[in-house]
Amino acid sequence: MAAEKEIWQKIGEGFVQEYYNQFDNTNRTTLGDLYSADACLTWEGSSFPGKAAIAGKLASLPFKSIKHIITEQDFQPTVDSCIFIMVFGQLKVFMLKHHACSWVCTNDVFRLGIHNIPA
Amino acid sequence: MVDQPLWEQIGSSFVQHYYQLFDSDRSQLGTIYIDESCLPWEGQQFQGKKGNRWETHLHSITVQDHQPTPDCNILSMVVGQLKVDDDPVMGFHQSFLLKNINSAWVCTNDMFRLAIHNFG
Repeated sequence: MAAEKEIWQKIGEGFVQEYYNQFDNTNRTTLGDLYSADACLTWEGSSFPGKAAIAGKLASLPFKSIKHIITEQDFQPTVDSCIFIMVFGQLKVFMLKHHACSWVCTNDVFRLGIHNIPA
Repeated sequence: MVDQPLWEQIGSSFVQHYYQLFDSDRSQLGTIYIDESCLPWEGQQFQGKKGNRWETHLHSITVQDHQPTPDCNILSMVVGQLKVDDDPVMGFHQSFLLKNINSAWVCTNDMFRLAIHNFG
């Protein structure tokens, strides 16, 4: 019998779906709204602190179209009542925090899977 | 040369300590977790210091990223390669959430996935 999903899994899945929908199907100019004002993004080792820097980086990525294919995603509650998420397909890690009646992203780490291929 | 931010120093030290323990004396690994820690391993949930499955591993870190979080925790992500016994080398991803409790940095969340999931 399938257990009902935990609340952090439902919120996390909803966020991930919305994130990649905006990422793949829009011009990404509103992606910044998913982040808190003092969020951090690390993109392939480079840091982008704050909502404005993150929005600028995501909107300026040099491709015309993109599609993310998610193979796995993991969700956990944290002791500070946040939600910790890891997405696989292309590796991506999020941290969500409840703020003013909505969930926003406070941390985001991205790495391409090319780092995983053994020699 | 600019000093590393504090969260990078703490995160790097933790990661180094974690994999040194993991590859040499796994019985000591419980000291870095608390009873409320969550550790999904390849999608299966384990909770608490006693819930770990251990095999013989040798980890090699390719890249690691560290960030501070709004609640003064540290988020660390590791991408690397892993060798288990006589099996071929595999890629892995592991993310940690570190929290300062009673002046010690402990791991409250730990997620591990093999890189086999990366290919569509």
